[in-house]
Amino acid sequence: MTTAPGQTKSLYRHYIIEEYQLQKEPFYLPVHDEVQVFETAYKQKLPVLLKGPTGCGKTRFVEYMSYRLGQSLATVKPKGKGGAAAAAGNGKVGMPLVTIACHEDLTASDLVGRYLLEGQETKWIDGPLSRAVKTGAICYLDEIVEARKDTTVLIHPLTDHRRMLPVEKRGEILEAHDRFLLVISYNPGYQNALKDLKHSTRQRFISLEFDYSPREIESKVIEHESGVPADVAMNLAKLGEKVRHLKEHGLQEGVSTRLLIYAGKLIAGGIPPRRACQSAVVWALTDDAEVQRSIAEVVATIFA
Amino acid sequence: MQPTSEPGLPEALHRFPKTVYTEFQKGYDESSKRLAPDQVEAWAKAGVEIAEHSFRSWESATEYFRASPLVLPKLNFEQLMLWAQWGRSLAATSPIVSSAFFRATPEVLDRIPPETIGQWAGLGKGLYRSTWKSSSLAATFFESSPKLLQSVSLFEMEELVVFIDALAQKSYDLAAECLVLADSVFTKVDRADRKAFLGLASALARNNWRDVKPYFEHAPRAIYRVEKSQRPRYLALADRLARVSGVNVVTFLNESADALAEISPEDHAEMLGLAEQLAGAAPTAVGEFLRGLPTVLDRVRGEQLVQWFDEGLRLLKENEDGGMAFFRLESGRSEQLLEALSHGINLERVKEVLTMYCRALAGQDVELQATEILKERKIGWNSAEEATTEGSNIYLPVFIDRYNSKAENFSWFKVISTHQVAHLEFGSFAFSFDRPSAVYAGREQRHTRAPIVEGRHAISDLQRFFDSFTDRRLASDIFTLVEDGRIDHRVTVEYRGIAPAYRRVQGEAVAGRPAPNTLPLREAAMELLVRLSLEEVSPLAVPKAIALQLDAIKQVMRVMQSPLATIEDTAEATIRLYEVISRLPNVLQPDPEDQEQQGMEQESNEPDMEQLEKMLQDLMAQMSQGAGQPDGEQQKYESPQKIEFRGEFKPELVQALEQLRDKQKKGQGELDTKGVSPQDLKQMLEQSVELDLTDGQEGDLDQMAAAFVDNLMNQVSQEQQQRSGQGDHFPHVPDDDAPLSAKEPQAYLYDEWDFRATDYKPRWCRVRERRMEEGSTDFFENTLRTYSGLVSKIKKQFEMLAPESMRKIKHLPDGDEYDFDLVVESIIEKLAGDTPTDKVYWRRNKVERDVAVAFLLDMSASTAEAVDESRRQPDSGDFPDDPRDYMAWLRNRREEMSRRSYKRIIDIEKESTVLLITALEAIGDHYGIYGFSGYGRENVEFYVIKDLAERFGDSVKKRLDKITPMHATRMGPAIRHAVAKLDRQDARTKLLFLLSDGRPQDRGYSREGVEKEYAVHDTRKALIEARQKRITPFCLTVDRSGHDYLKTMCADMGYEVVTDIHSLPSRLPQLYRRLTV
Ligand SMILES: Nc1ncnc2c1ncn2[C@@H]1O[C@H](COP(=O)(O)OP(=O)(O)OP(=O)(O)O)[C@@H](O)[C@H]1O
Ligand SMILES: [Mg+2]
Repeated sequence: MTTAPGQTKSLYRHYIIEEYQLQKEPFYLPVHDEVQVFETAYKQKLPVLLKGPTGCGKTRFVEYMSYRLGQSLATVKPKGKGGAAAAAGNGKVGMPLVTIACHEDLTASDLVGRYLLEGQETKWIDGPLSRAVKTGAICYLDEIVEARKDTTVLIHPLTDHRRMLPVEKRGEILEAHDRFLLVISYNPGYQNALKDLKHSTRQRFISLEFDYSPREIESKVIEHESGVPADVAMNLAKLGEKVRHLKEHGLQEGVSTRLLIYAGKLIAGGIPPRRACQSAVVWALTDDAEVQRSIAEVVATIFA
Repeated sequence: MQPTSEPGLPEALHRFPKTVYTEFQKGYDESSKRLAPDQVEAWAKAGVEIAEHSFRSWESATEYFRASPLVLPKLNFEQLMLWAQWGRSLAATSPIVSSAFFRATPEVLDRIPPETIGQWAGLGKGLYRSTWKSSSLAATFFESSPKLLQSVSLFEMEELVVFIDALAQKSYDLAAECLVLADSVFTKVDRADRKAFLGLASALARNNWRDVKPYFEHAPRAIYRVEKSQRPRYLALADRLARVSGVNVVTFLNESADALAEISPEDHAEMLGLAEQLAGAAPTAVGEFLRGLPTVLDRVRGEQLVQWFDEGLRLLKENEDGGMAFFRLESGRSEQLLEALSHGINLERVKEVLTMYCRALAGQDVELQATEILKERKIGWNSAEEATTEGSNIYLPVFIDRYNSKAENFSWFKVISTHQVAHLEFGSFAFSFDRPSAVYAGREQRHTRAPIVEGRHAISDLQRFFDSFTDRRLASDIFTLVEDGRIDHRVTVEYRGIAPAYRRVQGEAVAGRPAPNTLPLREAAMELLVRLSLEEVSPLAVPKAIALQLDAIKQVMRVMQSPLATIEDTAEATIRLYEVISRLPNVLQPDPEDQEQQGMEQESNEPDMEQLEKMLQDLMAQMSQGAGQPDGEQQKYESPQKIEFRGEFKPELVQALEQLRDKQKKGQGELDTKGVSPQDLKQMLEQSVELDLTDGQEGDLDQMAAAFVDNLMNQVSQEQQQRSGQGDHFPHVPDDDAPLSAKEPQAYLYDEWDFRATDYKPRWCRVRERRMEEGSTDFFENTLRTYSGLVSKIKKQFEMLAPESMRKIKHLPDGDEYDFDLVVESIIEKLAGDTPTDKVYWRRNKVERDVAVAFLLDMSASTAEAVDESRRQPDSGDFPDDPRDYMAWLRNRREEMSRRSYKRIIDIEKESTVLLITALEAIGDHYGIYGFSGYGRENVEFYVIKDLAERFGDSVKKRLDKITPMHATRMGPAIRHAVAKLDRQDARTKLLFLLSDGRPQDRGYSREGVEKEYAVHDTRKALIEARQKRITPFCLTVDRSGHDYLKTMCADMGYEVVTDIHSLPSRLPQLYRRLTV
């Protein structure tokens, strides 16, 4: 199935699939009971939908859960670059995690697999979803609303009692491995009729709602991820809380934990806090001069 | 009494009516006493000569004889003869004049020296021009002389006569009137200014004599308002302007003096200097300049003022209209320059930034408004200058000019708003009896202090709390200081960035305060509390008598610095401080020397609550025994001097409001007895120290209480309405030409383009945004039914444009399918040894639509016109200018509307909108639908039928139903508002679609001649602004004569005139499609 790099030279499409194992447990601070709920859902084979604004820890949560659920973790990415891939079949794959970032050009073949021309012949290559279904991984479809509608319906049979994936091109049906679980994420913030999740899709999942965590937790996350001292992390979390109040009042989205971590990293790297926040928060969030100025004032109020 | 040596004389007199002789005899007695016999004879002879002079001159002679006894004591013989001679010569001109002269003399001689009598007489004579009218004027002169000379010197009188004479040449009546007025006018004009005053009067008499009387009436008051030493200069300036056509001096004086009265007298000289300079270049601009000064000087002075002035002067030379608008302050350039030059900051300028800032900190939808507004509501806030909050919004002064730089002034703004937000953020108004304190947990005293008493009802917990103190004022003062101190400390700890600015302001607040050792003891203790709450640490001289108390106050305040401390702790601290401070007599320290330096710094270690409580108890026990307390005269307790940056804090009132809000929310519109009753409110009004009854107008307490209760109720229900977006505003029409302010929420100000001045009039129009009322969905559904064929056609057309529409793209390295032609080609290439192409895929690519569009519907009165020619309405949308007439007209019109059975333009506009919505929903574009109308520049109504971010649903359908013809069409501001909305959208393609039925028109926007052009130019400018923001405007009109102005308005922009209105429903979606594909 997997082709080692260098062995084959595909004329038309070159897939190198990286597999690697995390050595460490990913850092994740539970906010509520999401860990228990997810674990239970997994045991009951219920697909999970993670809702929440960008950069609030959804991806990190899935990583953490797959680590927890297995012993080790593998991330499989579609369309990887060649070269640096670690050797495949590294032995003990506990609970692999296959992450697929959805985008508008993602086709069914991208997920399921396709024929490639090799020499004078064609060769079938499994897509990441098929791989996850077969090996029993957690398959994480990030930003599902970005995917095309015809792609979205593909997962329907996988997410009900059938738990199977039709592979049309080959005239096959793949039955999901016992360990397989489908997790999708979705950012409800868009408020766009076109980018809403269809009910027939949405009602196949249990939902976990994520939001930016409260000050105390978020500051610990920032502290851990960026390496700034606790008081700076607390101020960044405070800033996050304040800026998020402006959502719908000039800002389309509140500031993500991710951006706050970026700010922290800049500060840890020696950039003065106000300047760091300007780059990582003020300018990153909006182009509207008035709003920028307001946020800058909040920054100036919080940071000396 | 017998005639003397020359017996002929009396004989001669017998020829005249008897009174002559009677008066002669009286005079003869007196003159015999005072004069030698020959002199008496000369005197009598003079009288006879007067009498004989002409037909009616015996009347003058009578007056001569009658006045003589009174005059004799004041004149010597020579002077007497001269007097008689003058009289005779006047009699020669007119006996009336001469009579008046004689009659006035006795009193006149009380005021002027006898030797000047000829001078005086000469003045009167000079007025005579051998006409009847002139003689009457001369007589008036003499008649009014006695009174006039009370206030005027003879010398000044000469000046007056010059003026009267000049005026007489235009109108004798007016001249006479002015003579009569003169005395009362002169009493109002200072001696020093009279010459100039009269000089100007004469100039007016020559050039604009009709202005003379109003000048007489108004000028004295005007002159009085100018700084003394500058009055002559001021009058000279007016004089100069009086000679120029196009300047009305009286108006000038009135307006300029009002303006000068508003600015400091010290500035008058400098300002008049500038005005003189301006008078040389553009006399007509001088008035505008002076009139605007109060506003200008609020913002710039000195160097900056001159810079601003010079720019205006330069502009005047370049473009007169522009220059005039500049000085009138109706010009963007002027405004921008002032803004750039001034240090001060207008709330208006920073409102948006500060609003977002406050919202971010508070985490609630606070609005920022001017304190004036809160004051106007009369719900207990009386100051227009102080920052404050009523629990939901934040109120700030409209202008800050404390410091010499913008940055510092902004920083002040930021500090005062942060303080107010902190009240919200850190829960100053959330006080509750039931919630335990944090630092005083387990030690609460408030429950035992203020038990719940049957039958006594407090509106709020705070009221119940304050009720438990005998001295409410003292308790409230303490509470305020402790709470302000608590939140200020919290701010500086939580927000390290603003701490330096805060510290600075706190330091400045300490600077002007009284020294505690100069105050009576209780007030001294309060002053110490003030300083502790400001965290002022420098040591102070403190009366020895309160050294122990200071220690206690310090420790209580130290406790409040805990990050855990809540408003409930403030209450506990208040109780403890009150117990200590209220026990202090408010007497002056007997020996002022009996004081010592005390450190004010707080301990850094954690306070021990146990110890603190014990210490307080000991102290109180000690104080109750009266130990160490000086005697003396008790002084009335005065609250500590205010701390400006903290503004006003009225927690009790806010809690009351909060209660009312709660009720309102729960839907109990009416107050009942259980929650908050009007009685309760009245009671609060009487008791609370936060409400100052003396500040209201006179009137009995009951009446005031009732008004207050009404106002409070109004406030709450208005807030409610605003929240649901249905505030009802009646158009109000201030008629002065000044920029507006957007004090109310949901009001937005926009500049307007003045093409003559080629400049914007700053903040000229106020757009009031409000949600359209909701009707029923019937209109929408019916339209769909009527046009069902068209609907499905449109749907189909638009679905074809839907975002998933695909185009085949070839030559891709990756894709859905192989492009077999290319595959073959590639294989051939490979076999041929060439580098084969790898671009052998094709794919359907999504052509994504990313469109946001705002539809702007004209809801002007003219859209009420019937579409059907035969049933055309008689009036064509011309409405009365006077607001009262207008309202009557509107009522009529509405009545007519309700009886309507024909289709109007607006109905077709609405139907078209329905179809368009169908199209837009099919295609998925972001769209907003807005209607606009209005009345005057201060009332541009902007109705939201569907906001851009909103989803389509029943309420949109219902709102659509309510679209109806309203008032006028001021397009510019409506366009600008829609553009502002679109500008906030993220879309790649942005459109503004204007649907109208005629040219723009509105009061002061479009009437006759040049104004018509004005409206078109402003609208055009607004459309250009849209384009600069990358928004494509498109104008659609159903006005058949549309071509003429649309060509100007939309030159090089898209527009279309729909000649057959019935085609609009199909045309509109069609056009839209054409525009966006
Ligand atoms: N509870 C948490 N524990 C640990 N890390 C967290 C937590 N919440 C957020 N983070 C951090 O936030 C950052 C962003 O999180 P992540 O990438 O998972 O966001 P996301 O929700 O997947 O965003 P997107 O929707 O944009 O993909 C990560 O660096 C992660 O460390
Ligand atoms: Mg993610």
